Amino acid sequence: MAATATHEEPAPILRLTGIDRRFGGVHAVRGVDLQVRPGERRAVLGPNGAGKTTVFNLISGEFPPSAGRVELFGLDVTTLPARKRARLGLSRTFQTSRLFAGLSVEDNLYLAALGVSAGHLRLVPSGKDGTLRAAARAMAERIGLDTRLDDLVMDLSHGEQRQLEVGMALVAEPKLLMLDEPAAGLSRAERVRLTETLIGLDEDITLILIEHDMDVALRVAKWVTMMHDGRVIVEGTPDEIRANQTVHDLYLGSGLIAHA
Amino acid sequence: MNPTVSTRRIAWPALIAVVALAAIAPLLVSDFFLSAILTKALWLGIAAASLIFLAAYGGMVSLAQVGIYGIAGMAYANLVLADGGAAAAVNPYLALVAALLIATLVGLGFGWIAARSEGIYFLMITLAFSVLVYYFFSQVTGLSGFGGINSVDLPGIVGSPEQDPLPRYLVTLVVAVLVFLGLGVLSRTAFGLGMQGVRDEPARMRALGFDVTLHRTLAFGIAAFVAGIAGVLSVFYNTRITPGSINLAQTIDVLIVAVIGGLYRLEGAWLGALTYALIDNYSREWVPEVGNVLGPARFNTLIGVLFLIIVLASPGGLIGIAEQLSRKVKTPRRAPAPMPAPQTVD
Repeated sequence: MAATATHEEPAPILRLTGIDRRFGGVHAVRGVDLQVRPGERRAVLGPNGAGKTTVFNLISGEFPPSAGRVELFGLDVTTLPARKRARLGLSRTFQTSRLFAGLSVEDNLYLAALGVSAGHLRLVPSGKDGTLRAAARAMAERIGLDTRLDDLVMDLSHGEQRQLEVGMALVAEPKLLMLDEPAAGLSRAERVRLTETLIGLDEDITLILIEHDMDVALRVAKWVTMMHDGRVIVEGTPDEIRANQTVHDLYLGSGLIAHA
Repeated sequence: MNPTVSTRRIAWPALIAVVALAAIAPLLVSDFFLSAILTKALWLGIAAASLIFLAAYGGMVSLAQVGIYGIAGMAYANLVLADGGAAAAVNPYLALVAALLIATLVGLGFGWIAARSEGIYFLMITLAFSVLVYYFFSQVTGLSGFGGINSVDLPGIVGSPEQDPLPRYLVTLVVAVLVFLGLGVLSRTAFGLGMQGVRDEPARMRALGFDVTLHRTLAFGIAAFVAGIAGVLSVFYNTRITPGSINLAQTIDVLIVAVIGGLYRLEGAWLGALTYALIDNYSREWVPEVGNVLGPARFNTLIGVLFLIIVLASPGGLIGIAEQLSRKVKTPRRAPAPMPAPQTVD
């Protein structure tokens, strides 16, 4: 795997080395190496079952790899639990929304902001938590949910829930943001809005994106990693990926796996 | 997925009305009713509230609450009563504080173990705890006396319930209101919201940076403190404590109280306890004699049937039924929407 830019290379913000993960008899991820530099816009593509979400879970610390090494922000975090990685500045969304259905939109965002700050166990009334409440409301406005602050999340539409997923990841002000299929199930208008949000992200935030929608993925990403069968098979710019025969075969459902 | 749980503000007008009614109740009812129904409903309600608090805000249905209140009750009784019914060994107020401390510490320790399991496994491990506590006190007669610890000294503020049950009733009432308000306020703190986050999506909470096990453990400790209060009040109520009063049947009774009232709202604890106390006391008189089939001795059957009807009519218990009724009476100002609202196409 060749690096893109040949000029000066900053230290990677994320480095996976020889990552393996088995679930019983299933070999979900096989020897994946991956490097992401600060400020990068990276898309991870691949058909269902390629191992994309497993790689995400290994990076965020849902479970440890069977073999290999995960480094975040220059630290070896292979055995560090998810909550400590979050506090280092990693923030993620989930493929199927994992929101607090019994809480209001504002309380969801409040908890997301609270997670990376001190004082999880404080007994102060959360309504008087000025700074975090302000951050929660500002984020609600940014994702277009400011009119639904007091509504329970279980009463939101699918599109609104997906927006909230992204908002909850952003309100933690991460250094590394990982989005798992943020556009899944969104309407056309909602996709356009999401794409704009992602393109408009602060340049300091590093973004890794799993997305099946090529319009979203290839517009947002500057560099694409293509996975299949637990392996990284191609990496390149969006243009190179568009022109790549293997990618076409995989996404058009060809039974033959061509060799790139 | 929990049915319609949400963070609710305390309904002050309703609370004030109920407390006012409870405060004048001694003028309206007999001493028997005051003790056997109202006082019992208040302390049993606190025990059920500790269960509902964990279930509604933490997503943990615990059967350990009776075990914990048994520990508090036994600790209190042992501390105030020297062996053989001699004069009080420890000041009752001091014993009370010590009993609550012991219950809370045991709760934290056990919660730390139980917090790692979920769902049916959590239910089983907490059930095992209650059974363990029961057998411990059944067999270690050095702590439970033979057939229980009798004529336990009570704090002065409770007076002598045999002569005048009113002070004990008022003390229990005040404590119940404080427990209700305390848990209500707690649910809106940073910690309380975190608990509800753990209830809805523990994986998300971890990804956000929270220590889910710590949250669960502390929630369990708080519930143990509340259960401990119920345990000490149960000793005030019975003026004795026996292993038989903290057995498996009592564990099931507290669960039934919580389910009848409504597992998803704290208020349900006392509504369920009042209903239970009424049925438990009066159902013998209600069951008609029908040959060998029915009779006053079958009051347990009546309790069972009532329980089934309530649970089938409303998974949210009596509080759930009350909510449904008030929804029908009032024209809904805002869709309560257990189902997602229909979406307009854009």
